[in-house]
Amino acid sequence: MLNLLFFGRLGDLASGIDKAIPYHIDLATPLAIRNKLAEQHPLLTKELSEPQVLVSVNKMIVKWDHPLFDGDEVAFLPPVTGG
Amino acid sequence: MSISISVQAKDFDLGAEYDRLRSIGDGLGAIVTFTGLVRDFESRPEEPQYSRKLTTLTLQHYPEMTERLLSDIVEQALTRWSLLGVTVIHRIGSLSPNDQIVLVGVASTHRHDAFQAAEFVMDYLKTRATFWKKAHVDGQEQWLDAKHSDANAAARWDDIKHD
Repeated sequence: MLNLLFFGRLGDLASGIDKAIPYHIDLATPLAIRNKLAEQHPLLTKELSEPQVLVSVNKMIVKWDHPLFDGDEVAFLPPVTGG
Repeated sequence: MSISISVQAKDFDLGAEYDRLRSIGDGLGAIVTFTGLVRDFESRPEEPQYSRKLTTLTLQHYPEMTERLLSDIVEQALTRWSLLGVTVIHRIGSLSPNDQIVLVGVASTHRHDAFQAAEFVMDYLKTRATFWKKAHVDGQEQWLDAKHSDANAAARWDDIKHD
């Protein structure tokens, strides 16, 4: 399984989607997941495609073509606004 | 070296945190503390006339990742300046106007290192640590946008070589 996390405004847009998805070789990068989401969640995918949105795997910032493995935690991070 | 990093819902006591840094002892000559408060209005830099009364600010974060990122930021500060202690406390959850939201405390032998490091940690925290603010304004909730001014503030450290 892959565990998906969406933070900030992305969390609101992703409220209806399944956060635990089966691991599959066709969904083995964050980019592939984003493209898959585009089919049913165009608004979310549009936000995910903003250049400021970062992606992390197991809490490390990675590139969108980072290889995923079964059990990974994939988080989508909009620009941070703490402090 | 005294490093303390905490992400917490509960409020913090500036005096207690100051005393802890002050107890470092050997070589201590300066302590700089910065406290950030929740403002009672929400403004937008790109719309100078826009200002709305803010009733609640909700802070979300990414547990474990936030603490690690804050730790990375403090480590970078330690390589740039000569420091004796760093404290970072950031609150999460639901906050009201005038509540304390963030504390950065830096102890060093000379003031220059403490001033510079405190500002560096805040600038990097604002642009790199995984916190997100949701404002409750006029009975509506809205996620706040990142500010270009914060990105610019952080970027200037990229060019500054520590002397």
